[in-house]
This record gives sequence, structure tokens and C-alpha cells, in this order.
Amino acid sequence: MTELRQVELEVNGVRRTGLVEARVTLADFLRDELDLKGTHVACEHGFCGNCNVLLDGETVRSCLLFAVQAAGHSLTTVEGLADPTGSLGRLQQAFHGNGGLQCGFCTPAMLLTAHEYLETHPDGGTDEEIREAINGVLCRCTGYQHIVASIRAAAGAPG
Amino acid sequence: MKPAPFAYHAPDTLEEALELLARGDDTRVLAGGQSLVPLMKFRVEKPAVLVDVNRIPGLDTVAEQGGELRIGALTRQQRLVDDELAAAAQPLLRAAGRHAGYRATRHRGTVGGSLAYAAPWAELTAAVVALDARLHVCSTRGDRTIEARAFFRGPHETALEADELLTEIAVPARAPRSGVGFHEVTTGHGGYLHVAAAAAVTVDDAGCCTDAELVLLRVGPTPHRVAVAAPLHGTELGTDALEAVDELVAAVEPEGDFEVSGTYRRRVARSLARRALLDAHASARAAA
Repeated sequence: MTELRQVELEVNGVRRTGLVEARVTLADFLRDELDLKGTHVACEHGFCGNCNVLLDGETVRSCLLFAVQAAGHSLTTVEGLADPTGSLGRLQQAFHGNGGLQCGFCTPAMLLTAHEYLETHPDGGTDEEIREAINGVLCRCTGYQHIVASIRAAAGAPG
Repeated sequence: MKPAPFAYHAPDTLEEALELLARGDDTRVLAGGQSLVPLMKFRVEKPAVLVDVNRIPGLDTVAEQGGELRIGALTRQQRLVDDELAAAAQPLLRAAGRHAGYRATRHRGTVGGSLAYAAPWAELTAAVVALDARLHVCSTRGDRTIEARAFFRGPHETALEADELLTEIAVPARAPRSGVGFHEVTTGHGGYLHVAAAAAVTVDDAGCCTDAELVLLRVGPTPHRVAVAAPLHGTELGTDALEAVDELVAAVEPEGDFEVSGTYRRRVARSLARRALLDAHASARAAA
């Protein structure tokens, strides 16, 4: 039952391929096959949201998707959020500048979730809307206050 | 943990999928996977074969046709919540569906998957029972339609046979001068609900109730319909009418679990039932 399958997909704008068993999750595929360690795995059962990635622009739990299911789709991981030069993007800078992280474990998922939120709420919306947007990602350090402030700051930043 | 190995099929057509299901060798349908995959990781579920239906075209359309809203079973929950046509045709779907899981799980989780998995905490199960929806299922043996009110048999148990695939949910469009309400209590925002109440109320020109539905979740093994139409008929949901509803709700005998007691559930059910019915009545009057 160790039949391997070819998986071809686009990750952060680059075509990537790998050979995996059907039971390998997208999260493990990203980390172990593609060596993209920015996608963090915590509970692995869909509760904590720390493995969120963008599948065709929408947040999904990469621990609840098999890599074979992502074949032919377009993915964005936290590695894809930085500027092409490799410097931090605006949202990342806002997290950095506003204490939007402590241990940093949830940060990739928070950033991707916030990125999706700001696409539909470019003016930042209300704090309640921000909190609802990030409620599917668990953070055990910050108490969320500074994460909300970071997202608000990213929306308000010029340019 | 990681899932046990399985044979994986991702058919491109409904016919192929039904053929695979008909083989009957410990096969499960993989739709959104938001419930099934965690159970596979806990190794509660160890299916030998997974039939991934995500690549089958035409199973995720939402359309209004002949006075009903037809929702493809593969419609993502978030898509249903965002769909203006669906919200206009039957607002209870959005009112209930927006509470299902989190945005990231709703992007992937499907309407049909939520119903077929039949979790006692699945908001959409209450909606389809309250709305008297019909579920269309297919197999190589033929197609059939199952009333939502006869579909749920117990926690995670439905009228679906192992070789059948749920393909479409048909929901009657809202009546004129009708409104809906949905309330739930959870431990945290987006968490599993402890109790929920879904209500739909229709009123006459004077704002008096002509029809009412109330469905509670987690007061029994399946979505629990409370017969509120008779006591509410002709009323404006005043004190006497609501006390009559209280009595009906007080008859439920919910079980407790490690989080909340059965007594708590019954008390909360009373409050949520009132709130959902009052919201439904108010929105019905506003629509009149």
C-alpha cells in the first residue's frame, strides 16, 4: 500500500513536484518534501489552525488536506509573503513593529489568515471583525491583543 | 498521528465514483475532509479505500429552480454562507452555516459532507430539518430522495447506504412574510456548540404567526424538532405563547458530557429557543 503518486502544484508562484503516498498531508508534503518549514504543524487535527496556508487564495488547514488533493492548485505559504527581494512584506513588518508575536509558532498562519482578511477588508475593518477572522488560529502567547493591533496597523500603513 | 494507508481514487465523473462506491470494500467518500481526516488521523477511521469526489464537476452549484434552492452537495460551506442568492432564497442557511467551524475549515468543508457526517453539533443539520429539505442521493442501484427529517438516525448515523453518494440538497424557498433565527452556545467562538436553536416563523398581514418551526441541537441524538406551530399559531409570540414553548422545550432530556450537564443544556435550550423564535418573528414582521 505504499504506492507513490506524483504531485505537481504551484507553490508561491513556482511549479513544484514531489512523489508521495496518498496519505501524506499537504502540511507534511510542504515541510518534508519541499523543505518549506514555514508551515507549522501543531495539533494536526484541524483545531489549532497553525498550519493554515492559502489554497487558490483561500485559507485552508494544510493538515486536513492530502497533498494529492492539492495537485494542480496554487498555494501560498508564509515563504511567499515576503517581498521578492526577501525583505519583510508590509504585514510582516506590522507584526514585527507591534509585537504581534512572542514565540512565533502561530505567526505564519496568523500572517496568512490576516493576509486573506485584508484582501477583503483593505481598511482594516473593526476589531471585532479582525478577531472573528483570526479566531481559527490559536496563539498561546500573545493574548491576541498585539496581533489585532498589528493587523490594524498593516491596514493603516501608507502605500 | 498520521492516517493509516489507503487506496486513493479521484474520479472525474459521478458514474466512476458510484462504481467505486459499489465495490463495497470498506470505502469512504472524501469530500471536504474536515471531519473524516481528523478521525483518520486518530485512527478511529481506517478506510481501505477513499473516493475523493472533489474533481467531479457539477456537484457544487447553487441555483434556484421551481421554488426551491438546489445546493450541490460539494458546495463549500463558506460559499453557501457568502452566496447572496442562497441567503435571499433561504436566510436560515447563512444564519446557521456561518457558525460552522472556522473560515479555513468552511473553505474546504462541504454542505453535503456536514450532513452526511451528521455530527450532533453540525449547525446545517438543524437548518435542513427546520426547512424540511430533501436530500438527493445516487448509487449504481438508482437515485432516491430522502426527507431531511428522516435522514438523521443518530450521532453520525444517517439513512445513507454505504454505496450511496449525497449529491444535492433541495431547500424550499422562504415563504413571503417569513423570517428566521439561529442562536447557539459554545465554549469559544467557533468551537463545538453545546446547544443550538434554529427557528423559522411565518406571519400574516397583522403580524400574527401562521406557521413556525423550531429545531434544537444537542438535546438528543439527532436534530430535535419541537412542535411549536400549534401553540404559536395566531399569536404574536407574547408571554403565554412563549411559556407554552418553554413547556415543550422543558420536555427534552439532553445528556451531559465532560463539558456541560444535561440540566444546563435544557436550561440553555429554553433561552435559545425563545431568542431564535423572537428573532424569526421580528424578521418575518419586517418582511411583511
